[in-house]
Amino acid sequence: MKNNKTGLVFFPAFDWAISPTHPEREERLLYTRDQIFEEGVLDLPEIEEYAPRLATIHDIARVHFCVPRVQSQVTEAHLIAAGSATLLADAIVHGELKNGFALVRPPGHHAMRVVHGNRGFCNINNEAILVEYLRRHHGIKRIAIVDSDVHHGDGTQDIFYHDPDVLFISFHQDGRTIYPGTGFPNELGGPGAYARTINIPLPPGLGDETFHYVVDNLILPILEDFKPEFIINSAGQDNHFTDPLGSMRFTARGYAEFTRKLNPHLAVLEGGYAIETALPYVNLAILLALAGHDYSYVREPEWPGTMPENPERVARVQRVVEQLRNVWENRDRVDLDKIFGTGTFYQRRKHIYYDTDYIEEEQLERVRRCPNCPGYITIDSRADHGYGHPNRVFCVSIPFTACGACQTEAYDAYEQARGLAQYQFVYLQDKSTDTFLAFDRDKGQEWVSEGPKVGE
Amino acid sequence: MYIGIDVGGTCTDAVLLDRGLVRAMAKVPTREDLLSSLLEALDEIMKGVEGELVERVVFSTTVITNLIAEKKYDPVGLILMPGPGLSPSLYRFPTDTHIIQGAIDYRGREIIPLRLTEVDQAAAELAARGYRKVAVVGKFSCRNHRHEKEVAARVLWNYPDWHVELGHQVAGQLNFPRRVVSTYLTCATREKYQFFVRSVQEAISQRGIKGAIFILKADGGTLPLESSLEVPVETIFSGPAASTLGVQALTPPGETAVVVDIGGTTTDLALILSGQPLLASRGARVDDMLTHVRALAVKSVPVGGDSVVERVGKDIIIYSERLGAPYCLGGPLPTPTDALRVLGLTRLGDVDRAREAMQMLGAPLGLSVAEVASRVTTRVIETITREIEAMFSRWEQEPAYRVWEVLQKKKVRPSTVVGVGGGAAGFVSQIAARLGCYPVIPPYAPVANAIGAAVARPTLQVTLRADTEQGIYIIQEEGYQGKITERSFNEEKALELAKEWLCKRAARHGLEDCVEGLEVTRREVFNMVRDWVTVGRLIDVTVQTRRGILYHVGAGGTSE
Ligand SMILES: [Zn+2]
Ligand SMILES: [Zn+2]
Repeated sequence: MKNNKTGLVFFPAFDWAISPTHPEREERLLYTRDQIFEEGVLDLPEIEEYAPRLATIHDIARVHFCVPRVQSQVTEAHLIAAGSATLLADAIVHGELKNGFALVRPPGHHAMRVVHGNRGFCNINNEAILVEYLRRHHGIKRIAIVDSDVHHGDGTQDIFYHDPDVLFISFHQDGRTIYPGTGFPNELGGPGAYARTINIPLPPGLGDETFHYVVDNLILPILEDFKPEFIINSAGQDNHFTDPLGSMRFTARGYAEFTRKLNPHLAVLEGGYAIETALPYVNLAILLALAGHDYSYVREPEWPGTMPENPERVARVQRVVEQLRNVWENRDRVDLDKIFGTGTFYQRRKHIYYDTDYIEEEQLERVRRCPNCPGYITIDSRADHGYGHPNRVFCVSIPFTACGACQTEAYDAYEQARGLAQYQFVYLQDKSTDTFLAFDRDKGQEWVSEGPKVGE
Repeated sequence: MYIGIDVGGTCTDAVLLDRGLVRAMAKVPTREDLLSSLLEALDEIMKGVEGELVERVVFSTTVITNLIAEKKYDPVGLILMPGPGLSPSLYRFPTDTHIIQGAIDYRGREIIPLRLTEVDQAAAELAARGYRKVAVVGKFSCRNHRHEKEVAARVLWNYPDWHVELGHQVAGQLNFPRRVVSTYLTCATREKYQFFVRSVQEAISQRGIKGAIFILKADGGTLPLESSLEVPVETIFSGPAASTLGVQALTPPGETAVVVDIGGTTTDLALILSGQPLLASRGARVDDMLTHVRALAVKSVPVGGDSVVERVGKDIIIYSERLGAPYCLGGPLPTPTDALRVLGLTRLGDVDRAREAMQMLGAPLGLSVAEVASRVTTRVIETITREIEAMFSRWEQEPAYRVWEVLQKKKVRPSTVVGVGGGAAGFVSQIAARLGCYPVIPPYAPVANAIGAAVARPTLQVTLRADTEQGIYIIQEEGYQGKITERSFNEEKALELAKEWLCKRAARHGLEDCVEGLEVTRREVFNMVRDWVTVGRLIDVTVQTRRGILYHVGAGGTSE
């Protein structure tokens, strides 16, 4: 019998906050709790609430290079948020649930592959941890992440930029007007994963109607072509018309309709800081949409009705949609050498600012352009905390589907970096064997983390 | 001396306790006329005891459960203000339901005003269809009851003789659909319950008893009979609560145990965790409707000593129904009791007839009488054991909303299996063996329920919610809304205020003595921050009188 239930993990982390008055604080999901409880939603037979569980340190190490180690960048609350997503994914894969909603704090989509501290309220990336977990534990290969937060999901983009099997689509307020200032249509993925990253910047003030134009004319057709085995919605609620950080005009109903059309396997809460005027209603509407219930009675008190859109802005969106559809349709015909050059390695320099922890990071990322696999990646990262010497680390990442040559070369790169005095820490992340190494120069020690074998 | 009486479906049990020792016990059949059974049991245990010596009488009863199950109450109409949210089509209440405009939000602010013409119209339609009882319930009425009161006033202005029940007075917790059902059932049963309470009071005073009379609630606490008139629905399901408390009283303090109450057709399971019975995390299901009624977590498994056993093909199946007594007691079909008789695990009934029953089942399969008997008992034991395991894992799977709650979750497994009820003796040792526990059949097991009623403590609780930004506070259980005048109102002051209210409430119910040793069961404070500035606090505190039992029985009356 096919189960038709929607799973929910509600983990508001009522005893965890970045700081007492920070927008990402205990109060964030308080009114959502009240609304969901009062509606009696959890008594509906189609909805099943699960107790949260903790992700393992190994689940994090499979994705991130946490400096100096995982334990120093994550609290238990982070492990619970990430673990709740993997818990629901297990139940979905096993057929206990048709879909799920990890309504959890803290969020994660600004956390990049290398983690020196907290960025945009995020330390570890819940969706990325989920993706690697699905591949390792359930052998799921093709996965799509659609990010509906008002902010560009730059962390998720960073982690999957060279991964041809993960399609990352983010629509968000134009980066010239909002944190983190990225997410433009020309950011399309590296040479081995071209057009697997799709960014749709939206002009501020845009409402439901144009939002759905993008969904219908770009996002859904691309997903149909890509044929993912699993769809994750990075469900940020800060596109709402009352959000204090964003300037968009989406409504709870707009979000619910999007959820119904996208039909994700799992929605994972990201941002959303209108804790009274948006979150109780948007979260409820999304939950109802996932469960296949009527959400048309969910209406925010300040609901503005449908608003006329600025035609000039709508035209701008239509041009971006057209341009990206072109990119998508011609993705296999483009001359990658023209875009990325012809070297054995493709490399890019990145400057990353940690807005919460005031860290400036400089990165040199290199990916091997391998004809047989997505290629291994190395990152030379230097983080300036504003005091003392900057931290310099070297990271090597071997993809899940690495070829033997890349694997050997990557291990050599790790050994070589261990011999260089400038790196305080050297890391190796071998996703193909699920093994992670970290070398601490001062102590002259190496840690090894080997995950549970598949099926355990 | 204390008296406990459990008016069950088949038997009415009574005990007389004298400082922790059982002085007398009685078991009489429950008749249609509950009062006469009650008096008969009372008379039997009171032989030679003066009524004046009885300090208190506690009873548990099925009277409300039966009223509801048999729908022996007047029709009740609903006037609801659900506001925005779930589609009203998802609410399926078993009566005429009128949905009107008006909405309150989660902080108790009005977001949509009422339209009194809609109230008039709803009431007129209900009147035309013959209703004179109506339950009025709004979403978030527990955060602000203004709309409910306005609707009630309007209805009563039109129909002064109607009985109107308001949601916020019945249930203060969040969950609108459950509040509707609880209010509906309260409205439906209040009059009949009143009549019942009056006759009980009359009967008891006829027997010269001047002590306090209490009634057991589904959550294992007691209420003075008079006060229970306010909350008739809370007295449902007090039977399983009674036997759980009885086991608590008959076993050493602090133990983690499974209570297995094996009756004729069902087996009731309950958990005692570190000495305290486990409460269900959500309200009880009544007549297949979800309510706010707090109850002990009791799981009813549809198998008992009288369940019908049949052979189907090569399988032997135990059905959930009863078709009379076990075969060995002259019944028509084989039952688990017959299997127990054959295996020598009970002395009930005629052994030859029991063997005959097993023979009927086993002959076509070529199984010996003993083989069939052990197969039948194994089936029963497996079913019950599986349910016990499921109960523990359900308890472990309870959601948690705080980091510390998630971290402290650990696997707890029982150390003992305590059997009560008719079929207990035959099954409990094997159930315990499967779970790796000690089997216990306490003394007085057949009247454990009456003992549980006798030693149950009165319970009262008060939940205070303060919103310092709006300068208001609410006492959930009293449906009271007040203003905060102090500028420096904080968590400690909230706690003081809650305790004051609990004392007031205790005085009103004549329970002044139980305010000692108050417990704070919930304490939540949220800073409300707007634009990086703290504008106020939401403070929630719940205080309650000590839960549990007055003393352990048979252990010299030590107080817990
Ligand atoms: Zn955001
Ligand atoms: Zn390769």
